[in-house]
Amino acid sequence: MEWKDIIPVLAGGLVILVVALVVKPALVGEPAVATPGPVLPAYVPPAPLPAATPFPEVGAAHTRTFRWTAIDGGVHTTEVRVPEALFLAHRETPRFADRLAWGRYALAEEDRPILADLARRIAPAGGNPEEEYFGLMNLIFFVQQIPYEPDNSTDSYIEGALPRHARPVKDGIEYPKYPAETLVDGKGDCEDSAILLAGLLDALGYDTVLLLYPDHMALGIRMDGFHPYYAKYTPKYFDYGGKHYYYVEGTTYYGGKVSADSPVLRGKPFPIGDTEDASFGSVKSGTPEIVPLHSIPAPAEYRIRPARLPAGGA
Amino acid sequence: MALAIPKIPDVLRLPKIAVDRRRALTAAGAVAAVIAVAFIGWTLHVGWTEDRQVAAFGGHVAASEADLARVSAKISSCISSRPEYPSVAESDTAMREFAAIAEYGRVVTAYHRQVIGADEVPEAYTGVQSAYIRALDHLNRAFSLWSSAAAAYDAKAYAAAKDHLAGADRAWKDYVAAIGDYDRELRIAEEGGEIPPA
Repeated sequence: MEWKDIIPVLAGGLVILVVALVVKPALVGEPAVATPGPVLPAYVPPAPLPAATPFPEVGAAHTRTFRWTAIDGGVHTTEVRVPEALFLAHRETPRFADRLAWGRYALAEEDRPILADLARRIAPAGGNPEEEYFGLMNLIFFVQQIPYEPDNSTDSYIEGALPRHARPVKDGIEYPKYPAETLVDGKGDCEDSAILLAGLLDALGYDTVLLLYPDHMALGIRMDGFHPYYAKYTPKYFDYGGKHYYYVEGTTYYGGKVSADSPVLRGKPFPIGDTEDASFGSVKSGTPEIVPLHSIPAPAEYRIRPARLPAGGA
Repeated sequence: MALAIPKIPDVLRLPKIAVDRRRALTAAGAVAAVIAVAFIGWTLHVGWTEDRQVAAFGGHVAASEADLARVSAKISSCISSRPEYPSVAESDTAMREFAAIAEYGRVVTAYHRQVIGADEVPEAYTGVQSAYIRALDHLNRAFSLWSSAAAAYDAKAYAAAKDHLAGADRAWKDYVAAIGDYDRELRIAEEGGEIPPA
């Protein structure tokens, strides 16, 4: 074998190398990225929610007159007008089983004008903190003096019968009312009072939460330091989100009837933060679940961590 | 009886080869040259293939990161734009946007998981690829739970929504851990050496 026989072999090898390392990559592109099969869908923004149709002011309406004793001992009366269409629409709305969602009743947009008007009439804007406080207490006393009636009583409803969407539960019937329903019925139980009071206070700009006990519902109102000179009790408050929410009772229900042959329940006004006179053991010593009215569920973890790219990556 | 071995016929005998030393050396040299060229070619080819695989993998990770950055921007915008005291309508609108972002995040992670899962990578990069896929899986699970939370909120089942978000937070922490694993595996793959204890 001569050198002339080896040279073609070497040349052939070189040609193969050049084709494999230079020509092919130049033709297919470098790096050769396989085209993925599926196509990445684009972000689809949500469709806007339809605006709520306002209920007409004219037309049939329920008019109710309320009479209550204010913080100064004076007896006051006020009138509330609720459109019939709004009331019937509420009655035909199914109730939420989850109590954590009941704040939606207090903030119902359709009830807002009625609540804002009523709240401002009972608690006119004060020129100083004392007037503000008296206004607030008047509003609380107003709601507390709405007669208590349990959900399973047909007397709790102007129709004299349980509403279609009253839900049977383990201990009886559950029917949380929209504020407008409580005003038209003129009666309600603890959750109805708490919801109504939350709606009224919210309309005035107070920051409130619902306090859920196993057998009761009340309200929490945000206050920064509350030490009334008259109080013979330690005002009870709960921390939520670094804020203090003081206990507010929505009913005057005190347990038992005024006399053996009377259907009227005993009651008394409860000042802010007073849980020592409560008739529920859970209120006296328990810690409620706090339901914020103005809150959007959010994850605690949502930050995407950028990953370092491999050398040679784009 | 004695056995006799028969003689082999001459035609079956190997012919004698006259060995020329110079030609033999040349032939051996030629064979060695071919083997050397083949070895070098093979080595270059393997190196080039691995570089190409890493580059493709890196390109896919980069594309995934770019899409995740877009998802991240939408999440940040959605969370930071929420009013402090939202009305019911504002809450509902925010949760609808949250649901849309969750769905987008879910399809983005599923897509890139499929693309990167199909990548062929050098042995040194299998740990890197595996960790990144794990991270995408955890993120995909977190986004799925976000979707479930938004659906529960829409059904006014707030307790269920809270539970789903708590599950999503756990999945998110697993994702963060997997990204840590990915960074560690990538450093090892690029620098070489043993995997240090986690």
